[in-house]
Amino acid sequence: MADESAATPRRDPIKNPVGNTAAQRRRQNAVSVGKERREALFRTKRLCRVGVSSDMDVPDDSDMMIEEEQSILEAQTSSAVEELKNAIAFQGKGAVQKKVNALRELRRLLSRSEFPPIETAITSGAIPLLAQCLSFGSQDEQLLEAAWCLTNIAAGRPEETRALLPALPLLIAHIGEKSSMLVAEQCAWALGNVAGEGEDLRHILISQGALLPLAKMMFPNKGSTVRTAGWALSNLIKGPDPKAATELIKIDGVVEAILRHLRKSDEELATEIAWVVVYLSALSPVATSVLVKTDLLQLLVERLATSNSLQLLIPVLRSLGNLIAGDTYTTNAVLVPGHEITDSIILALIKCLKSEHRVLKKEAAWVLSNIAAGSVGHKQLIYKSEAMPLLIQLLTTAPFDIKKEVAYVVGNLCVAPADGSGRPSLIFDHLVSFVKSGCLRGFIDLVRSADIEAARLGLQFMELVLRGLPNGEGQKLVEKEDGIDAMERFQFHENEDLRIMANQLVDKYFGEDYGLDE
Amino acid sequence: MEWNPQTLQFLSQCFLDTLSPQPEPRRRAEKNLSDAADTSNYGLAVLRLVAEPSVDEQIRQSAAVNFKNHLKTRWVPSSATPISDAEKEQIKQLIVPLMLSASPKIQAQLSEALAVIGNHDFPKLWPALLPELKSNLETALNASDFASVNGILATVNSLFKKFRHQYKSDPILLDLKYCLDNFAAPLLSTVESISVKINAAAALAATLRQLIEAQRLCCRIFYSLNYLDLPEFFEDNADKWMSQFKNYLTMRYPAVEDSGADGLALVDELRAAVCDNISHYMEKEEELFQKYLSGFVEAVWSLLVVASASPSRERLTVTAIKFLTIVSTSVHHALFAGDEILQQITQSIVIPNVMLRDEDEELFEMNYVEFIRRDMEGSDLDTRRRIACELLKGIAGNYKDKITERVSAQIHNCLALFAENPAANWKYKDCAIYLVVSLATKKAGGASVSTDLVDVESFFRSVIVPELQGQDVNAFPMLKAGALKFFTMFRVLIPKPIAMALLGDVVRFLSSDVNVVHSYAASCIEKLLLVKDNGVQSRYTSLDIGPMLLVLMTNLFGALEKPESEENQYIMRCIMRVLQIADISPEVASPCITGLTTVLNRVCENPKNPVFNHCLFEAIATLVRRACEKNPSLVPAFETCLLPSLQMILAKEVTEFFPYAFQLLAQLVDLNRPPVPPHYMQIFDILLTPDLWDKSANVPALVRLLQSFLQQAPNELNRDGRLRNVLGIFNKLVSKPSTEEQGFHVLNPIIENLGYDVMAEYMSHIWSSLFTRLQNSKTPRLVRCLIILMSLFLVKHGIQTLIDSINSVQANLFHLILEQIWIPNLKTITGNTEVKLSAVASTKLLCESPLLLDPAAEKLWGNLLDGIVTLLSQPEEERVEDEPEVPDFGEATGYQATFVRLHNAGKKEEDPLKEIRDPKHFSVALLANLSAQFRGRFPPIIARYVSPANQAALLQLCNSYNLTIA
Repeated sequence: MADESAATPRRDPIKNPVGNTAAQRRRQNAVSVGKERREALFRTKRLCRVGVSSDMDVPDDSDMMIEEEQSILEAQTSSAVEELKNAIAFQGKGAVQKKVNALRELRRLLSRSEFPPIETAITSGAIPLLAQCLSFGSQDEQLLEAAWCLTNIAAGRPEETRALLPALPLLIAHIGEKSSMLVAEQCAWALGNVAGEGEDLRHILISQGALLPLAKMMFPNKGSTVRTAGWALSNLIKGPDPKAATELIKIDGVVEAILRHLRKSDEELATEIAWVVVYLSALSPVATSVLVKTDLLQLLVERLATSNSLQLLIPVLRSLGNLIAGDTYTTNAVLVPGHEITDSIILALIKCLKSEHRVLKKEAAWVLSNIAAGSVGHKQLIYKSEAMPLLIQLLTTAPFDIKKEVAYVVGNLCVAPADGSGRPSLIFDHLVSFVKSGCLRGFIDLVRSADIEAARLGLQFMELVLRGLPNGEGQKLVEKEDGIDAMERFQFHENEDLRIMANQLVDKYFGEDYGLDE
Repeated sequence: MEWNPQTLQFLSQCFLDTLSPQPEPRRRAEKNLSDAADTSNYGLAVLRLVAEPSVDEQIRQSAAVNFKNHLKTRWVPSSATPISDAEKEQIKQLIVPLMLSASPKIQAQLSEALAVIGNHDFPKLWPALLPELKSNLETALNASDFASVNGILATVNSLFKKFRHQYKSDPILLDLKYCLDNFAAPLLSTVESISVKINAAAALAATLRQLIEAQRLCCRIFYSLNYLDLPEFFEDNADKWMSQFKNYLTMRYPAVEDSGADGLALVDELRAAVCDNISHYMEKEEELFQKYLSGFVEAVWSLLVVASASPSRERLTVTAIKFLTIVSTSVHHALFAGDEILQQITQSIVIPNVMLRDEDEELFEMNYVEFIRRDMEGSDLDTRRRIACELLKGIAGNYKDKITERVSAQIHNCLALFAENPAANWKYKDCAIYLVVSLATKKAGGASVSTDLVDVESFFRSVIVPELQGQDVNAFPMLKAGALKFFTMFRVLIPKPIAMALLGDVVRFLSSDVNVVHSYAASCIEKLLLVKDNGVQSRYTSLDIGPMLLVLMTNLFGALEKPESEENQYIMRCIMRVLQIADISPEVASPCITGLTTVLNRVCENPKNPVFNHCLFEAIATLVRRACEKNPSLVPAFETCLLPSLQMILAKEVTEFFPYAFQLLAQLVDLNRPPVPPHYMQIFDILLTPDLWDKSANVPALVRLLQSFLQQAPNELNRDGRLRNVLGIFNKLVSKPSTEEQGFHVLNPIIENLGYDVMAEYMSHIWSSLFTRLQNSKTPRLVRCLIILMSLFLVKHGIQTLIDSINSVQANLFHLILEQIWIPNLKTITGNTEVKLSAVASTKLLCESPLLLDPAAEKLWGNLLDGIVTLLSQPEEERVEDEPEVPDFGEATGYQATFVRLHNAGKKEEDPLKEIRDPKHFSVALLANLSAQFRGRFPPIIARYVSPANQAALLQLCNSYNLTIA
């Protein structure tokens, strides 16, 4: 009683660093500053080179690419806009055809040039004219050509895309049920380009009511329309505000359409739909909780197992990862060890880990790390699978970004989920076998890296080794791999969390008697 | 504060006076300013003064510093007197143009002030800032006003530093995105435009200097923006960035570089910033970077070969080698696989950088503290010697055998060159020793190491021992230092007989005039004394140092007399360690206490080095404890020596030392047999000065001293209203969560040591202040402390006394406390003594109090038993949940000393229930006895109220003591 330290609650200072973080599912950050890795060319904005309908009567010559000097092209463009202006002003006989011809010429210039003269078109005043051509009651051909022009203008640079603002209400109006399918599709394309530009424009489109009609365009089974609508929707809901994603999932029929297309359609269409799922699951917990209760997971796993298309596999992997990270129902109720689907997903992920593609390896490791954050059963399943040698090999030889994801898998496999008392414990067998295979070295490399998340992970694993291996075996191993030196680098680190964690480990496991290091 | 000529005059005069050499006007001015700082718009007025061209530059500078400091303490809304929002807005509007038009010294202050605001407001609360900076940057660039350009870039650089060293999270990414959207493109165009201007200004040294600095700042901004993730804009424009970067690594700027060391340093700073950037890309964005990799490796390589051969250029060399190190550990390590390349690396990069330079020698002589910090304590990560070894380690990750073979050969070479002409080639030997030590693998136990490079024992014999046996302790001091360091590092591997034979030599080096050498000798001895065999057994004991103890202590105290070693922490630490281990005879004790007291009196004049001071107090505490334990007759002599010094610390208010002084006093009080001599009672009265208790660092030490007094002289407490004063302190401490625990430490010894009759009149007041605190903020710690206090009260003064005393506050209160506080929280008690105390008290309550034995209280009885069984049967970590530490922003009163516990002045834990050895046995026996009296009454209650797990545990407890509850 006399000593003042006596009544201080004794706490194990070291258990906190591991627990929560090492066994966590990780969602990708909703906000991203990095380039979108969609791997498909022109993903966010797409130029429309060939019309939405092949049966439209387009004169043959327009199939050829224009190879003119840029200056000539610009001159042609401004005269085409001038021509359009005249055609609109013209009231006499054949006025409609005149308009269509002028539009077609402008469209040809905007779609058939290597570097479309978008800027010239805008400065010549094309936008208000094109908006005028979208007025209701106009012929489909006119609407189509005007929308096509706008589509390609919107595919330009940011300020060029923004120039479409005055035309947005009409473009949105034409994706409703009153317009023909072809017109609607072309308008959706233009809107998709606008939505791809930025969050502010997405806000405008949503406030003008673009979400519902675009969603309904996904319902039919017409391949190209659904593809365009899916792509435009994926642009429209990608946040970072989750509101649009949540609204989309609540629209009647959307879930059914997504499932139907993923079940039946070709890979190209499935790719677009999968991207919609990516954003739904990344941003909206509501959407995620709806989707995990359907057979979406089954469909995604089948696609993952059967497809070899990189373009499709990436959004499928990303969706799976999000669904697992976003809702515990996924691992608790669907991907249960013993269910066939669980074995299939692990096999499919192993396929991706083995692939040549860096992105697939990285995404697959990320998904696996989220499964590995599940129950002890999940961990054992992965541990006994063919993934083990792959993981060990990747951890030592892969480039940094893949290595880091793999490290999350390994870390998660070694820690059991927290039980009622909130205290996660380590899984001894797994830890020992990873350490025996030389994994500690890979983690110590991470500790030395400049990436602070990776460094934290490395420290957490080291803590497991130090705490978990009996008879001071952990100390010896960490020592042998020069881990003490790696930790001591954090002695004065700017990141407080890492500094404390590393210093605690050094003090606790490698400290000499009192007085040596104040 | 209104802005008018009077204000201008007043502030100008104040700032002028703060620069006055006369203390009187200076203090008055400082006081006036600190009073004025509380009025609104003070910051604004000072800023206006800074901007006033008619005012003397010196005054404006001092005002700018004051302005920055004013913002530092008051910008944050949670500060005690925050600046109002309206004033903030005005400051934000004024500061950017003011900063840009200011003279360099004022600009630096305002730029810092701006960063202070930015830390809190940028970007969300200051949306105008970045656009403003951006447009000013453009204007300045167009006008070729490079002073402003650099001012703006420096500001942006400090604003963006927040993106370094952070974990990724959505809020931080949103801020980053905002900065990227606004500044990524302007940054690139700035870099490109400056690059054009650099080419044009090739011969204009002054302009070129500014431009190169601007480029450096751009590189630093690049680093901040790319730290968290690779932004899209930078990926899209990677070609442009990389070609700029490569340019600065390969181009020379003779007009600046050849104009002197600072010119070269300026360009090297830019190149170093580039190296940081490409290292970062290499590490985190290797996929993008790989196509540029070989070009950069070549450029960095060529730069390094030149830089390694020249003196200075440390920073460039370090960052450049770091880049190669990262490449060597990446998937592209094969770039370094060739035999020829490995040979070149060791020969042209590693060896020249490990070899001692003039700068190293200078540091060794001029600033031994810094030299040791780098050389011995691992703060040398950023020195060329160390980073060169890091490169070797990096390559060894994949090509261990090849590296080992080459480095061994180099070591051999170095030693051979040394052997040819030891006097001229001594640096080669130093190089060999450095390589062995730096490439060793660290092992458990602080700094002990192992190596594959050489056979440690034979290297020690042939290379190190001759140095240690050198008779002139001042000759070739760097080699001597290297040898002592080697001995220290490999101390575990050096067999005891060999080490013992050299110990005398090491003691001899304590008398070297070279600071590093006597420091390393002290450090070597100190660490040797800590070596443990099998992790427990000290390898060197008092028997080993006994024969040389006198000369050892003489040399140690002698070293403290050498110039610049008056406060040498390595020496003092060694003194402390020796005193902890050696057999201290009165012949040694007496000069030691005199020596230590002399040092203490000296450092009291001006406490500087906290480590030294801590070791000093620890050494004194050790000496007192060990000498007096063995020989109590020494106590008066020690008191004679020490008390005047301790009293001086209190009298002269050397506040840094208060916590130490109180701990030493407590130790002395403990050593006295009651009655405590009267001179101590004066100190007791000082102890009751409430002001002392305001400083949180004093509190644990004061509590410790108070406890000693309470135990040694309980009756003294009863005189002159002292008890009332002590209880006042208790009240004060217990009223705040940060010191509540200390409060109980004051109260517990009173409860434990005084008779109830003495404290009866205060108890009702004590309880009610505790229960009020409980009502206002019920922290888990408070609850635990309260249970322990009630337990202590119960075992010391009886159950009924406790119940009556609590109920005197309010009828039936005890019942309520028992039900709502005691029982539910019993299981959170931790610590052996505390668990024992509360278990015994709870069991007594359970079995001996009429309140609980009342048949109507059977639920309460059952629940209490359940709690007791949990407490006794489950290990601490399974019962106790983590609780978040309560953040507590206690007021800071004046200078803050920190409390550091003196290991050797500590108290042994006192057990208030020494008579009870096994609390489990005691509890079960009491219970069994009770159930024998009331046969059949308790089993149904147990079945109903005790959890099944605890029922099983209880049964097991009964079985293990062969008792039954029937």
